[in-house]
Amino acid sequence: MLGSERGVVEEWLSEFKSLPETHIPNYAGSLHLKKSLVPALYRVIQDPNNELLEPVCHQLFELYRSSEDRLRRFTLQFLPELVWVYLRITASRDRQSNGCIEALLLGIYNLEIVDKDGNSKLLSFTIPSLSKPSIYHEPSSLGSIALTEGALCQHDLIRVVYSGLHPQRETFTAQNRFEVLCFLMLCYNSAVVYMPLSSYQSVCRMSSRLCVCGFPRQQQKLWREPCNRVLLDPEFMVQMLTAVYHAIYNGEWEMGREALEDILYRAQLELYSQPLLLGNAMKNSLPESAPDEPRGRKVLQVEVTPTISRISISAITTASIRRHRWKREDCFDYSTDAELSLTVNPPSLAQNHHHPPWDAAAKEERGGRPNSHHSSSSSIIPPITLEDADGMSAGEDSFNINDPDEGFSSGASNSSQPSGTKVGGSVGQRGGSLNSSSSSIKKAITARLSRDKEREREREREKEQEREREKAAEKQAELSADHQAAVRRHHQRQQSPPASITLDAIQLSPIKKHLSFPVGPTLVRTGSTSSSKSFDCMNFSVNGGEDEREEGLGGSDKEGGLPVSGSHRHSTISLQEEHLIRPEDAQDLLSPGAPLTKQSRSPSFNMQIISQV
Amino acid sequence: MTARKSGSRLETEIERCRSEGQWDKIPELVRQLSAKLISNDDLGELLLGECKLQTYLKENPIKQGASPRGPRPKLVEVRKHLTAALDRGNLKADYIQEASLLMAKLCYVEGEYRDALGHYSRVNLDDMQLVGAPVYRLSMIAEAYATKGLCLEKVPAASPSLSNKNTGSPSSNRGTTEREQEIITCYEKSGDIALLYLQEAEKVCVSGIQNRSPKPGPTAQDQELGYFLETGLQRAHVIHFKNGNLTQGVGRFREILRAVETRTTQNLRMTIARQLAEILLRGMCEQSYWSPLEDPPTVSPLDDPTRQGHTHSKNYSLSRLIMCISLLLLLISESMANRDAVLSRIPEHNNDRIISLQSASVVYDLLTIALGRRGQYEMLSECLERAMKFAFEEFHLWYQLALSLMAAGKSARAVKVLKECIRLKPDDPTIPLLAVKLCIGPLHWLDEGECFAKMVIDMGEKAAEFRAKGYLAIGLVYSLKATDASLRSTQEDYQRKALGAFQRAQSLSPTDHLAAFYLALQLAVSRQIPEALGYVRQALQLQGDDVHSLHLLALLLSAQKHYHDALNIIEMALTELHLNLLYTKVKLESMCRGPEEALLTCKHMLQIWKSFYNLTNPSDSGRGSSLLDRAIADRRQLNAMTLPDFSDPETGGLQDANTLGFSSMFSVCSVHATSIAASRVEQALSEVASSLQSSAPKHGPLHPWMTLAQIWLHAAEVYISMSKPAEASACTQEASNLFPTSHNVLYMRGQIAELRGNIDEAKRWYEEALSINPTHVKTMQRLGLILHQLQRYSLSEKVLRDAVQVNSTAHDVWNSLGEVLQAQGNAAAATECFLTALELEASSPILPFTIIPRAL
Repeated sequence: MLGSERGVVEEWLSEFKSLPETHIPNYAGSLHLKKSLVPALYRVIQDPNNELLEPVCHQLFELYRSSEDRLRRFTLQFLPELVWVYLRITASRDRQSNGCIEALLLGIYNLEIVDKDGNSKLLSFTIPSLSKPSIYHEPSSLGSIALTEGALCQHDLIRVVYSGLHPQRETFTAQNRFEVLCFLMLCYNSAVVYMPLSSYQSVCRMSSRLCVCGFPRQQQKLWREPCNRVLLDPEFMVQMLTAVYHAIYNGEWEMGREALEDILYRAQLELYSQPLLLGNAMKNSLPESAPDEPRGRKVLQVEVTPTISRISISAITTASIRRHRWKREDCFDYSTDAELSLTVNPPSLAQNHHHPPWDAAAKEERGGRPNSHHSSSSSIIPPITLEDADGMSAGEDSFNINDPDEGFSSGASNSSQPSGTKVGGSVGQRGGSLNSSSSSIKKAITARLSRDKEREREREREKEQEREREKAAEKQAELSADHQAAVRRHHQRQQSPPASITLDAIQLSPIKKHLSFPVGPTLVRTGSTSSSKSFDCMNFSVNGGEDEREEGLGGSDKEGGLPVSGSHRHSTISLQEEHLIRPEDAQDLLSPGAPLTKQSRSPSFNMQIISQV
Repeated sequence: MTARKSGSRLETEIERCRSEGQWDKIPELVRQLSAKLISNDDLGELLLGECKLQTYLKENPIKQGASPRGPRPKLVEVRKHLTAALDRGNLKADYIQEASLLMAKLCYVEGEYRDALGHYSRVNLDDMQLVGAPVYRLSMIAEAYATKGLCLEKVPAASPSLSNKNTGSPSSNRGTTEREQEIITCYEKSGDIALLYLQEAEKVCVSGIQNRSPKPGPTAQDQELGYFLETGLQRAHVIHFKNGNLTQGVGRFREILRAVETRTTQNLRMTIARQLAEILLRGMCEQSYWSPLEDPPTVSPLDDPTRQGHTHSKNYSLSRLIMCISLLLLLISESMANRDAVLSRIPEHNNDRIISLQSASVVYDLLTIALGRRGQYEMLSECLERAMKFAFEEFHLWYQLALSLMAAGKSARAVKVLKECIRLKPDDPTIPLLAVKLCIGPLHWLDEGECFAKMVIDMGEKAAEFRAKGYLAIGLVYSLKATDASLRSTQEDYQRKALGAFQRAQSLSPTDHLAAFYLALQLAVSRQIPEALGYVRQALQLQGDDVHSLHLLALLLSAQKHYHDALNIIEMALTELHLNLLYTKVKLESMCRGPEEALLTCKHMLQIWKSFYNLTNPSDSGRGSSLLDRAIADRRQLNAMTLPDFSDPETGGLQDANTLGFSSMFSVCSVHATSIAASRVEQALSEVASSLQSSAPKHGPLHPWMTLAQIWLHAAEVYISMSKPAEASACTQEASNLFPTSHNVLYMRGQIAELRGNIDEAKRWYEEALSINPTHVKTMQRLGLILHQLQRYSLSEKVLRDAVQVNSTAHDVWNSLGEVLQAQGNAAAATECFLTALELEASSPILPFTIIPRAL
């Protein structure tokens, strides 16, 4: 050790001792300006016979004990080196010279396991649930969290304790050694951003050496100092990996990668699954080449990535399979009915049932005299259908009542729905009238159909498709009744204290818009911002989602307030535009207020989720 | 703008085609238009220019990084149209702006960045009306901002700026930073307007479906973001990160993510969510994170690494959030990646499949890193399992699943997955070794284990450093098989094989303490005490504080009857959590220092048990199906296990890796007088016990309860050695509450009955114990003795001979057998038995060597 280095260290030792309490913040701010101090301290720590080691350890502990974060971090930057020296000496069983480092490590540990009030710290985090909206997503848009039993079980947020209730430790023993060291590395990792590059180098060096010393691989290293194998703990190796991972992306590309390789090597030899798992993932996700500025902190790179869906539509994905499966099981899938109808129907039918894309005029015409349209497509359908359909603005011509199941199933669904509410009642009645009339005419239709054999064959596919639609419509009616209940619940809830959630509050984005942007803050709508307290207030966000949907549908019926507008919308368009009803309905059902009854898991419900895919 | 809405149908149609990017229809529409309105000729030029430019861009997409080259013939036409539209100047103001923007875009495509900037400065983008603008116009403005940003980046900063803002030409340094700011502003505006455009476009598309026919505009959902829009959306944060402005970059990410989702942005969201998670994982830590709802720290260390001191105060309540947020983002990405992964394996989709697999695999890696560092292997294994449907033949994902299952403790499934991994990568010795580790440890599938270990050995030299491990593994398999075997010949056979394997392992890797240690253990089991001592010393030299080595050393010393030395070793090695060592300590203490000390140790064990298992409980507070599954599995296990629940390792049965080999060499204990100390101890014992009972739930993992029962039985044993049947009976009752049908409990009851002089009852207990575990040597020995006392010699002889068959090294059985034979008058055979007993006793440890766990 050079004399000048020694001088620097001694000066540092004496300076802090004579420092009055009030100057500590200033001192903390100026500590990093002493450029030669940190390398000199590393020298002291690395040399177990240095007589300065003990006062240095003591001083580092004093710094750590101070209330100043910057001083604590100053000490923390030496942690990897201290751990390395400690473990190496332990492996060589030369315990006498190890005392002060041990004491320092234990001191830091005992300080860190308790919070300010002296209670044991419990480190935990919450596993988020995708089924609840957050500022980053809406659950409904992620169709893939299908309602499996498992997913339902995990709807609650889970708080996980990952470290906590560590007892005070007076001495290191073979058994508590890695418990203490793991926790210390956890502390280091929680402040790793604040560490200087020299500390990253140290952590990489430590990891590399601990993992290879005493193993054949040490022969390939420049560092050949003979050393016993150091016993390692899998959890400790995971902590090493975390630190090394950070180093790799924050300036220590080369050393970090080498350390990663060495940890993997050791994890393989020890057959430790945890570090292997993490190490493999880290190695596999490394960018191929070293980033531009290997010594800077600018390794974190993000590129403009083309986001065009590069995957051809015909490829089979989970999403497409799901669509397919529902179709096959004769469970109606109206997410895709628009496309479906185009692909399934033979051209001759398509011209009957689907208007050419841009024929707006024709559409208006049809709106005026839907009757003629129907008679032209199939003369056997009596005009009575239209009476049912009139409220639904006969825009859709798909209510062809010839499905024998139809009357039965929709009747059942109706009876199962208590039509207690005004709105729900009206929907129910409408559905009921539809049913009764349909069942009354059904026989006649089918009878005639049986006579028209050649037509029959032609209509076969059409029927299938229409049956789908019909069922979907029914379910929609059912759902809308469900929805009424849900909305009512929300409404009731809104009476209670957090009633301040207005539509405005939901629409606006609370995050500051920093630009003097001519557009104004509402232009880019911000999703579910009500849930920015995201994780625990579910009912707010449900309202947010609902609002979203209304917006999506034009927002024309906003003035009516939530429940009324919801019902209005449903009654007017639900039957004709099934595919437009956004699955926020599903979200409503998912709210914690609505228990997950059988009803909420009914096919229609699942279908709504899945239809998002 | 309002006029437009009431405009002719043709105009609406044109607007819609422009919005939906149906450029091929434009020429036809323009022809119709010019037929109707002669004065709008310029509009036709504009539209033709636009559609040709767009078609060109569609056919020749601009690549990332590749700079556009000079003018091309097709573009000349475009320029002609646009110039025509602009020159005549009888267009409406809106259209003039549009034409200028198109011109600027054209200039960019041709590489004329300065000209482009000139056009932009003329238009003054900031003044353009956004509210109520038609959809295509939003996209145009967004593209214009992006293009302007691109141009500004391309034009060197030193040159006089053409932008309307910078005409003042300030000093070059300030100019640079100002220009950077301007570039970023351009991109940010572009991004915001692009998002607005996408939202509006979707709205239009939705209402299009609503108002018109069921047939939607063609492929409204896969509307493509062009190069310009994409750049606009992403370039701003890229620049932030390039400049090291982590804080602003993250802020930008959040803004994009918070925008209302549209179909087109789903892919973008997935990418951005993943990138933000990457940044959080790689560049941030708990103490440097700030909540999305509060202002970012004004000075963050992330932005400027040289400045250590800063004003950002640590906010502990937030430290949890970073984990939560990054997880949430990753889960979002995961669910999207999972949904869009291509499943079909037909050749046409191969490229798609690989692309989707790669993007999914990146997400899974990040998820692994995020969950792994917090020890959430259970959840991780569930996530990875979802990836399996598209991971056919993908080694990395399979391997990760296997490792996560292993880390989550789902051993049986892990082995199955590892088998698949071996198939995919037969050259990697680590994989079969991992499988052996599981087979030997929690599963006790010795045959499978042997199979896997042989795979490693068969690799020969290729396995390199893992070869020694392979031999170690197979040695352990043989050693465990020897313990399980009921026939003496097979036992000896396996022991010989095990010894050979350990020797091989030790010679291959002389610096591995495990090899030396297991060699010593194997030697000890076959009662070669001096050789075993040699190797255990070697192991201790390599790894001085290995508990198992120390334990073995103590047992070896006790076999040499150096009880005090052994006790010293134990006390040196002893730390709180090693109940295993404490069992030995109890034995040694009652041997050397009297039963009071042993009882104190028992009490100590109970306290440890209580603190240890209560401490670890909070982490289990999480709910979830996985936990439930585990509980169910445990309960099932419990049911299946009522028979041989914790049998001693000598006779096989349950082989939990952690099972602290239960053993009962009760008879060794000498009987000492009781003392006042003993009664005090007893009181303390029951105190601990009552507190235990109040909090003792009867479900959860099996292991803690087995341990507890063991401790009680040890205490009972000590009491028996003190001739205190009442206390011993109470202790046994505690164990019996936990495991009423354990043969160990029944055996202990028998002993108590014997102590009370109740021979018949004792016999009944022993018979019951044997009916549960017919190979329990201790019971057989005691039963043999009782039968001997009852003078039923031949039956006694039969029982004892069976016992010797099961365990040929139990010296007290040999001794009893000798006594029986003697009583039958078979002096010669009796002598032989006594001699064997004597010989064995000389090398007998205080507890069987097999109490030491054997695992890789």
